[in-house]
Parts: sequence; structure tokens; C-alpha cells
Amino acid sequence: MSEGNGPAILIRAAHKRYKPIVAAPQRDAVRGVDISVAHGTIHGLLGPNGAGKTTTIKMLLGLVRPTGGEFRILGEDSTRPGGRRRVGFMPEQPYFPQHLRAAQALRLYAQLAGVPRDEITPRTTALMERVGLQGREKTTLDAFSRGMLQRLGIAQALINEPEVVVLDEPASGLDPVGQRDVRNLMLELRDACVTVLLSSHQLSEVEAVCDDVTIMNAGRVAAEGDLDALLNVEGRTSIRVRGLDGGLPAPVAGLAGDVAVTGGISVFSVADEAVRAVIDAVDDAGGRVVSVTPVRDSLEDYFARLLAATAEGGEDR
Amino acid sequence: MMTRIWPIALAVVTDSLRRKVVYVVLVFAAVLAMAIPSLPSYGLGIEDAVYREVALALSFVTALVLTLSLAANRVPSEVERRTVYNVLAKGVSRGEYLVGSWLGVLIVTGGAIAAFTGVQQVIALARYGDPMWRLWQGALAVWLEMGVLSAFAVAISAVAGPVVVVTAALAVLFVGHSRSTLIGGEGALALRPFYPSLDTFNIVNPVAHGTGVPALYVLSMLVVFVGFVAIALSAAVWLFGRRDL
Repeated sequence: MSEGNGPAILIRAAHKRYKPIVAAPQRDAVRGVDISVAHGTIHGLLGPNGAGKTTTIKMLLGLVRPTGGEFRILGEDSTRPGGRRRVGFMPEQPYFPQHLRAAQALRLYAQLAGVPRDEITPRTTALMERVGLQGREKTTLDAFSRGMLQRLGIAQALINEPEVVVLDEPASGLDPVGQRDVRNLMLELRDACVTVLLSSHQLSEVEAVCDDVTIMNAGRVAAEGDLDALLNVEGRTSIRVRGLDGGLPAPVAGLAGDVAVTGGISVFSVADEAVRAVIDAVDDAGGRVVSVTPVRDSLEDYFARLLAATAEGGEDR
Repeated sequence: MMTRIWPIALAVVTDSLRRKVVYVVLVFAAVLAMAIPSLPSYGLGIEDAVYREVALALSFVTALVLTLSLAANRVPSEVERRTVYNVLAKGVSRGEYLVGSWLGVLIVTGGAIAAFTGVQQVIALARYGDPMWRLWQGALAVWLEMGVLSAFAVAISAVAGPVVVVTAALAVLFVGHSRSTLIGGEGALALRPFYPSLDTFNIVNPVAHGTGVPALYVLSMLVVFVGFVAIALSAAVWLFGRRDL
């Protein structure tokens, strides 16, 4: 695996302006987007429809000509064919030549990706099994369901054993078991030091697997960073304590908020920087700390709030 | 490069072979070929020459229908169905993709023309006791011209839909065979060397009524074929390279 000094994926000042042929206003689909994805991580790309996610991915992979910006994968210019040879891509709703059998399709993509001839069959067999399509090698693709095509799309993205994988809505059309399988697959890829750029509408999926996220809205980056840091918006920590039957000790009571007592367990939140002092105070008072967890927003709530805020900002401008 | 072009071409061949249009056109053309001996001009005493002329015309029309039906929709449908994404994301250049697609169409057309010419030979042998080997020269000329036409079709299909492609390809065919009509006058003779003429590939007369064409002429057809195809595919790559997918 490549372990260069720079990020595995680097998008800098990405810009896409569509110029209509007939007289009509020009439209900026993507404006000044910067994304950096570290090696061996799963990076989520979020945003509502029309945010510019797919356009950004297409520019990264040379499918759309950028108006401006720099696009690098593993240090190479990914808008050029040679810069995409170590990349796997699964487009949203992957389509395949319908007349091919599943194994034939994988063989075709393996040949295109330059997989050595003697490795094609074993890789095809292994990948069909890995994505849950074992036994379907000879089925023609016009008989495949949407979920099966989705699984095959993932298999073709992995056929060249890529170091970077770009997945656009990989769980779309999959049943809950399939969605779980895809999540596990992404985690397996990360364990194997493969870098994953995941574009998804499914916030639970992103929340479950992503190390970092970039949230796009109206063609710009609205927020980015470590998922825990983004969701820990209150800067507070939730503490569960047992054995404080006489109520919270005075030093804790002065710092705690959102206090609730149920079944002998006290739950309250404190500012992050007060956690150490509060735990010591609880110990001194004879209590026992059950858990200490960051107060996290749900990604769904955070996402909605962020988009509302950027919409208001846009209106102000 | 060929390691990427060849699989694309084979995929086009496989896809084409499942299309009914290939077989329908071939069967229809074969039936027509068998009907040639019943043409009224057979009373003129030049039966075998007329047979060769009509057979070549049938080969041309059959190949034209196949070429346009295969080449006009190939790229537009792949872009529309987004199957091209999987291909280009594998590090295949747009040029390799277009050349592979063109090559696939060329192979299918070549196979169809060869099969049809074989049928014509069988009929000729049965009817006249002569396998008429010269028909293969005509078949080669038809195949090369269809190669040029399919390259133009691929170029136009890089930016336009099938209807525009078919219309434009037929226009190219018409213009390509109208040099003497359009710039036949003496005043325009200076333009003749620059006219994109496809007349080089028209060897019906020497094949049907003469003794065929010499090997040097066949070589010149190949040179013209390579030149036109290079120009058309270069245009295709330039146009497709500027397109957002």
C-alpha cells in the first residue's frame, strides 16, 4: 500500500461552472471546494441533493472537466487516466452491459484495469463471494435486481485491488442486511489501509463508519473535520454515576446540567474541561462512575441545523 | 494501450451479436441475393456481371444499415446508461474507449460482410459454376468505407444523439460520393485534392465488369482508409474529451 507523505485524496479549490449553450445565466455547481482525505481512513461526503457532491467526485475522476482546481489521488493528477489506475469507483446506481453474465462483467473490468490474466478468475470468484453474489457468476445482468447490481458495482470497484476507493451511495437499494454488509466491507477496507471516500445520504451509515466528513451545501464546503468533534457541538460530556443517594455533591452540583436521577443512577452533563474535577468529586463523595461519554448530537440533527444555518447565511447575502 | 482497447472492442462485439438487427439484416440480404438471378436484366447476356454488381450493392446497403445501427447509438447509450463511468474510472482514456468502440463496430461489420460475401459466393457457384473470388475485393472496399463511416459516426456520436449521427453520416456518405457533381467544373478543379472523397472505395465497375483492381490500388484504399479514420477518430477524441459525462 502506498504511504505517501501527502493525503491519499487531495482536492484543492475545485470549481465547476456550467456554461449553457443558449443565452442563460452561468451556474456554479462547485465553488472553491477543498477536501483532504488521509491514508487509510473513511471520509464521508455529505450534502443535500444539488450540493455538488457528485460533480466533485466526477471532477476527481475525470468524468467532468473542472473549470478550476487541483485533483490528486495518491499524489497523481486523477483527472488523467494514468492517475486513476489505483482507484476503484462505484457510481451511484451502477449500470452494466445487460447482456453480460456477472463473471463476464467482472472479467471485462479486470482486463480494463490491467489485472494480470492469471489473477482474474480467482479475484472474480473471491469478490463475488465477498459481496454476497456467490453462485450468480453465470447469471446475465438483465436478471439482476437493483440490490444485486449494487453489490456487483462494489465488486467491480474492488477488482483491481485499489488503494483508494470512491463509493457514491453504495448502500442505495440494498436491504438492511446488505447495508450492514457494505458497512462491514468499508471497515474491512480501512483495516487493510485502503482509503475510502464515501458519498452518502444515509447519515447513519456515515456516522457508523466515517472518521472524517465534509459537508457540502450549494456547491461549497459547509463544514468539515473529525466526526466526533463536529457532533460534540456542545463541548460537554455526559456522566452516569451510581451511589450518590444523597444527591450530587456540592462541587458537582455547581457544574452539572441536565441532571436526571433514575433507579439510583444520576445522569448529568458537564463542560469537557470540568470532567476530571467532577470525577474526583464523585469519588470523594463515595459515588461510582458508570460511564463518561461526550454529549453528541445526532448527525441528522447536526446536518439539518447546519443546512438551515447556511441557508439563512445565503439569504442574508 | 491495446490491453485496454481490445476488451472494449470485444464487449462491443458481444453486445452486437445479441442484437436481432444483425441477423435480420443478414438474412434479408441473403434472401435478396438468392433473388438476384431472377432480375429482368438477365436477358442481356451478361448475367454474371450483373450478379456481381447487384451483389456488391446489396453488400453495401447491408453493411451501411449495420454500421449505422451499431455505431450511431453506441457511445450515446453508454453515456446515458452511465456504463461508461465504470470503464473510464478504471484508468481507460476517453480516446481508448472511443477507439475500442469503433474497433468493435468494425469487427462486427467485417464479420457480417464476410458472411454475406460467403453466401454470395455459394449462390454464384451454384448458379454460374464460378465462385467469383473478385467479390472479396469489393467486400474489402465496402468494409473499409464502412470503417471510415463508422469512425465519423463515432466522432459525431461523441457529442450528439443517434438521429443526428445517422443524418450526419448519411450526409458524409453523400458528399463523399459527389465530388464530380459538386466540383466537377474546371473552375473548381484546384479543390479536387482537398475534397473528402470516398470514391476510392467504389470499385464496383472493375469488380463487376472487369478483372478487379491491382494490389497497388488495394494498398491505396488502405492508405485512404487509415487517413480518414485517423482524422475522424482524432476529432472524436477531441470532442469527447471536452464533454462532461
